[in-house]
Amino acid sequence: MVTPPSRRSILSLYSTMLRTSRSFSSYNFREYFLRRTRETFRTLQNETDGTKIQSMYSDAVAELAVLRRSAAVNKMYGGWRLAVETSKP
Amino acid sequence: MLSRVSRSAVCRTTVTARRASVAGARRGLVQPSAADRASVVDLPATYQDESHFTPRADMLGFKLESSAKEQTRPIYLDMQATTPVDPRVLDAMLPYLTDQYGNPHSRTHAYGWEAEKAVEDARKHVADLIGADAKDIIFTSGATETNNMAIKGVAHFHQEKKKHIITTQTEHKCVLDSCRKLGEEGFDITYLPVQTNGVVSLDALEAAIRPDTSLVSIMTVNNETGVIQPMKEIGALLRKHRGVYFHSDAAQAVGKIPVDVNDMNVDLLSISGHKIYGPKGIGAAYVRRRPRVRLEPIISGGGQERGLRSGTLATHLVVGIGEAARIAKMEMDRDHKRISQLSERLIQSINSQVEHVVRNGDADGYPGCVNLSFSYVEGESLLMALKDIALSSGSACTSASLEPSYVLRALGAAEDMAHSSLRFGIGRFTTEKEIDFVVQHIVRTVQKLRDMSPLWEMVQEGIDINSIDWSQH
Repeated sequence: MVTPPSRRSILSLYSTMLRTSRSFSSYNFREYFLRRTRETFRTLQNETDGTKIQSMYSDAVAELAVLRRSAAVNKMYGGWRLAVETSKP
Repeated sequence: MLSRVSRSAVCRTTVTARRASVAGARRGLVQPSAADRASVVDLPATYQDESHFTPRADMLGFKLESSAKEQTRPIYLDMQATTPVDPRVLDAMLPYLTDQYGNPHSRTHAYGWEAEKAVEDARKHVADLIGADAKDIIFTSGATETNNMAIKGVAHFHQEKKKHIITTQTEHKCVLDSCRKLGEEGFDITYLPVQTNGVVSLDALEAAIRPDTSLVSIMTVNNETGVIQPMKEIGALLRKHRGVYFHSDAAQAVGKIPVDVNDMNVDLLSISGHKIYGPKGIGAAYVRRRPRVRLEPIISGGGQERGLRSGTLATHLVVGIGEAARIAKMEMDRDHKRISQLSERLIQSINSQVEHVVRNGDADGYPGCVNLSFSYVEGESLLMALKDIALSSGSACTSASLEPSYVLRALGAAEDMAHSSLRFGIGRFTTEKEIDFVVQHIVRTVQKLRDMSPLWEMVQEGIDINSIDWSQH
């Protein structure tokens, strides 16, 4: 029997993932990963099965590593901003 | 020295210099300029940066195009041409571009083994996405090569007995051109017409099958209109005719809508890497092994990929398409739901603000590809006016020519409607804000272009454009 991750560790992972997603320099990737992280953690929040929470948590940890590297590469080659970013709503 | 002279004095001297140059306008072409005119004047104290601009006295207050506006990239809405590489895909590829550079066909050392392992994992991911077995997947350079390989390969292998190939009029250029080439070699090609919604008629297909038909090639999702063909029904129909192979160009379908090769009964299927958020330069072919589909390879060599496509595999690209396929399978439901919402938002808001807009193709097609015709507006001029949006009026392969799209013509669209079409490609990374931005710009530009158009004026007056005999005078 695996012990499900604590509420605090989930929240801390959530905020780290949001921060990492926000660090993408490309508008589309940034928005996508922010949206996706929010969706993933919302389903995690509503999940009650301990083993499922554990597996989702470890998936998210693995993905965080990918996101960190991707964001770093993305920032290195960041270009101009998109037209939609500078336009006023 | 110069700095000690007061600023007004510098001004005065430059003014006199300018006057002198005007006075000396009559001088010959090769007469050298005096050295003093090339002197560098210190930057004024009010100088801010390159983009700062103050009008000179002789500009009479005319406004110059301000260069202070920040340079931006246009919004990308052309996902049928290509898609951005998903950052997760690039992350999976990078190790094979740096440290793990082995040849996947090397059997004698660890470099080869690790590359081979990566290639086989990728093959598994691609196979899983289309419900196939990993051994059925052949990596190629892209969907164009796969289409060529499938069509020419099957046709050539069976050319002794069978000389007939069936395809449709709305296929991608590479399928049509492969068929045209075979036609020159003496094959008989039937180009099936499609109905006005872009879907091929099953009765027409059945009627076209002959005893010497070797191959039927029909694309799953059309690249210009997003029309989805009834693959399951076509597959079931062709199964009844022994010896007719079924090929499908699924470059626009795989990873976007559920595709299952056993469900669809296809024998050959084309997949492209860069349409599923993978890298360009890689594609895959599904070639059924049971019952075995025999084809003649185009490329001969070391016998890699079951001898159908010799040549060393590009490990990093293969890993890229594999990871893209894995992510596509994982995200398909989520992506499809979201793309449907965005597409709905786009169509609704354009329709509510602009009149005389026609959607080309079946409305139940793939929602990520919306082809709209704006009547009385030229598609190309609309594109030119929309410099903040990257759109296309049709296929990227034909976007250089001003010919109207043959796909839309095959759907029975009038010449003017085929000319006024725009294709909106929505993808995984498109946002609501982008859609709203695009709609706002399209509405404004269409209105502006129509206000300039005499045709539009006539329409507003109630004259039927089609009733006019233009060549009267």
